[in-house]
Amino acid sequence: MLSVLGGLIWPLQAAVVAWAIGHLLAGTGASPLLAAVAFGGLGICRAALACLAEAQAQAAAEAIIAQARGALIASEARRAGDSPFGGAGSVAALAGEKLELLGPYVARYAPARARVMVLPVVILALAAWQSWAVGVVLLISGPLIPVFMALVGLAAKEASARQMTQIGTLNDGLVERLSALVDIRLLGAGDAVAGGFRRQAGDLRRRTMAVLGVAFLSSTVLELFAAIGVAMVAVYVGFSLLGALGFGAWGGSLTPEAGIFLLLLAPEFFQPLRDLSVAWHDKAAASAVMDELAAHGAEEGVALPGTGGPAARLAGPASLHLRGCVTPSGRPLPDIVIAAGERVALVGASGTGKTSALRLMAGLELPPQGRVLVAGQALTPEMADAWRARLGWMPQAPHFLTGSLRQNLTLGRAGDLSDALASAAIGAVVEALPQGLSTRLGETGAGLSGGEARRITLARAVFGSPDVLLADEPTADLDPLTARLVTEGLLAQADRGVTLVIATHDRTLAARMDRIIDLGDGT
Amino acid sequence: MSALWMIFGLILRDQRRAMLRGAALGLIVLAMGVTLLGLSGWFITAAAAAGLAGAGAAFDVFRPSAMVRFLALGRAAARYGERMLTHDATLRALETLRLRVLAGLLSAPHDRMIRIRGAQALNRLTADIDALDGVPLRLVLPVLAGLATQLLALVALWVLVAPVIALWIVGGHVLGAALIVAVAGRVSLPLSRRAEVAAQAVRTRLIDLIRARRDLAVYGRLVAQAEAVQGAEARRRDLRRHLDRADRRAGAALGILASVIAAGALGIGMALVQAGQLPPAFAALGVFAALALAETLVPLRRAVSDLGRMADAARRVGRDLADPLPTEAPVAGGAEGDATASPLCLADVGLHRLGTGTMLMAPLSFTLQPGETLAITGASGSGKSTLLQAIAGLHPVALGRITLGGRPLADWPETDLRDRLTLLPQRSTLMAGSVAEALHLAGPADEARLWQALAAVQLQRLVEGRGGLSARIGPRGEGLSGGEARRLALARALLRRPDVLLLDEPTEGLDEATARAVLCGLRDFLPAAAILIAAHRQVETAFADRRVILP
Repeated sequence: MLSVLGGLIWPLQAAVVAWAIGHLLAGTGASPLLAAVAFGGLGICRAALACLAEAQAQAAAEAIIAQARGALIASEARRAGDSPFGGAGSVAALAGEKLELLGPYVARYAPARARVMVLPVVILALAAWQSWAVGVVLLISGPLIPVFMALVGLAAKEASARQMTQIGTLNDGLVERLSALVDIRLLGAGDAVAGGFRRQAGDLRRRTMAVLGVAFLSSTVLELFAAIGVAMVAVYVGFSLLGALGFGAWGGSLTPEAGIFLLLLAPEFFQPLRDLSVAWHDKAAASAVMDELAAHGAEEGVALPGTGGPAARLAGPASLHLRGCVTPSGRPLPDIVIAAGERVALVGASGTGKTSALRLMAGLELPPQGRVLVAGQALTPEMADAWRARLGWMPQAPHFLTGSLRQNLTLGRAGDLSDALASAAIGAVVEALPQGLSTRLGETGAGLSGGEARRITLARAVFGSPDVLLADEPTADLDPLTARLVTEGLLAQADRGVTLVIATHDRTLAARMDRIIDLGDGT
Repeated sequence: MSALWMIFGLILRDQRRAMLRGAALGLIVLAMGVTLLGLSGWFITAAAAAGLAGAGAAFDVFRPSAMVRFLALGRAAARYGERMLTHDATLRALETLRLRVLAGLLSAPHDRMIRIRGAQALNRLTADIDALDGVPLRLVLPVLAGLATQLLALVALWVLVAPVIALWIVGGHVLGAALIVAVAGRVSLPLSRRAEVAAQAVRTRLIDLIRARRDLAVYGRLVAQAEAVQGAEARRRDLRRHLDRADRRAGAALGILASVIAAGALGIGMALVQAGQLPPAFAALGVFAALALAETLVPLRRAVSDLGRMADAARRVGRDLADPLPTEAPVAGGAEGDATASPLCLADVGLHRLGTGTMLMAPLSFTLQPGETLAITGASGSGKSTLLQAIAGLHPVALGRITLGGRPLADWPETDLRDRLTLLPQRSTLMAGSVAEALHLAGPADEARLWQALAAVQLQRLVEGRGGLSARIGPRGEGLSGGEARRLALARALLRRPDVLLLDEPTEGLDEATARAVLCGLRDFLPAAAILIAAHRQVETAFADRRVILP
């Protein structure tokens, strides 16, 4: 509304200029100071109104983006696994730079549309009031613009949708290449990978240029229409003033004031239409983003049982029971009953569902079929957090968070780290690090050997004094000596009464457990 | 700021002709716009004066009106050309920049390489470089074109209208805009830098949340991590609000400047006409030119609001570019080495622990013959992995020397070294794609060869069961168990057909029987290769012909 009001000031400014020049031509004395102050004052009002209008629009845009981003983050925090929409790179790109594309649309499109509804009509009326011929010129050239714009807008939407998908794929590919830098180098594949990336980037550039080409072409056509309209008005006004054209004005001939006034008004007649065309492309980009948001939202996926937040420990014995469960990939698991304080090894060939079984026990997923009983009761989303509060967890491939080693170990929990470090036999290694516990970790535990990274995850698991410890291949990567240290660390936990479940290939480790459950040979 | 200039210099060097032509067209667009409006104002006022004087018939209407039409059409065409040209050139230049950054990271020292976090390096490569497209498009070219237009206008108005009007219009625009940009820049530069940091924090924390969501859930930290993302987002939003306000104020100031200058041009022009020093038509020309010249102020606003983000991105990208580009070492002598010399020989080799001056292990010597398998054993942290990395040229050698095929390791150019020697590191990363694509990373090979390698690592049945070589692997090897991923990485290493194969705990995650079969399979696949295994399992040590124990 304010932006419309601001636009309405321009005809007044134009009238001031026309009045001043008219007086100059007539040779009558008009105050230069009055003209300058009137023009300048109106200009300041106009700038202030535009500023206020923008403030409103930007606030609205920010609110919409923040809401969408918040919803996206919340939905990612509710999932049990990665969404089929894409990996971390795709989601981060959508939540980041792609959502930002909604801003220009919200901030520009609605005000531009409001201006298009009002300003051209007002200017047309003012022009027709001065000269019906100018009114006719504007009336004819004006409406052609939205028609053309609609056609171009359709093409632009398709082109920018294609570009969107490409950006996501390119980013995902790049994240992977960067995580695999060492492998690429060792395989001597640097040139090949760079070449592949060059092709992808070149493809994206061509798509981007296709989108831009359509956008530029349509704005050029708009500009041409506007320019022709303005030029026709200027030529008509010029000829009329010379007396060469005797038609078009009410009451005979055009006055010089009216001529100047019309000339200044003509470009402003087209300006709202041009603004709308720019916003139209914002709209095309935004609706491509909206489609992606919808695609992300449509794939709710398997929900994480519980919230993943802190909870009071669940009461009851530290026992586990998988009854008639099936892994998410559809492989049936045998019934597994583990009593409190028992030490159990899950063995079996690769791909038999050892990791899936551990995830079911940890309440990270609910089985598609069958039931999981923990602490003597059926595992439900309501008590999953309380159950997990009792767990220690050693994943097979740890992902260290951006942050210090200490942050990665404590994960925000209070307590003394030295016991945990000692029981994972990692204290000396941490001390030898240049910055000790303040060392920042790389993505896969850079700066630590595989065995060290594994022991860090053990220390992290032990730190919370769990009464159930689930470990996925705890001794993989370790030499016999360190493997023995880790095994002793795990068994020391078991001696405290902790229920220990280990998925392993390590026969020595499995033999130290009370019981071995074989998940089969993979056939 | 200097980083920005460096980036602009780079882009200019890469796309000099397109950029110069684009800049020239940009100037033409602005100059034509100013001429168009100025000429129209003059034309109408002069026509009115002639009409009033009754001299309408003698007034030449055709040339000015033809000029008006030409300028109107020419301007639209020039703008289209300018936009296409500069955008294409900028995108091309940014593509080159991206590739240079990727190449720079690919040739970075090993320790730096493993510390590059996917999320952060990704930010640098995509977001930063995307932000840099503003350097030519929204900063340098429009400002230069605007300045040049103002100078042209100064000359034209001085000659045609009056020096005082010329000075008022051009001086006012240039000085006023400079003042506004300086003040706005001072406010928004640090703000936009902080907003960018907050936006990066949102991204990094979100990626951490997605990648580590299971671990976070078990430790009850998922909610806290989501709150940390939301917290960074709230900070970003708050900064964004401040930035928007500064941006709006700069916009309003520029709008007011344009109005005041046009008002002044009107007032001065009227005074001069009334004093009889200027014909009315030229006063109109001045006013109209002042209105048109306001167009040169439009890009400044965008430039100010983006400046902080661009300067920040330029600094980060510049840091990566500062690393020398990979250059092939001059090939001294035959790159093939001596065929009769033993493939690998270590003489009193000692290594430092990474980033420190402390020795990692006592000096070590051994020689490896073709077809021989050597196991290195020792406690975790005794330096097995570091030794393999040193042999692969990834870790500096502190003492002694390593020779490969009779030639010192340091003399091997990177490409030849990788052809001769392959290291399977402790952790390999698989990329999303098909099995065939994963294997082809090792170089071109026909299908039969790929199947042989898969058979050697006991993956043939699994891959057949999943639909053959076109079976999909998820991002970061998802869909494969740890042991399967390990074996696929091993198959990839085998396909390099190296003379020297370095394996860091190759059978990790495999059961006893599979491990033995895989070790036999790889020896059959590469009967003549010298194989060095950093071994931690009995099955690996037993397979080797000899073993070296690191204390």
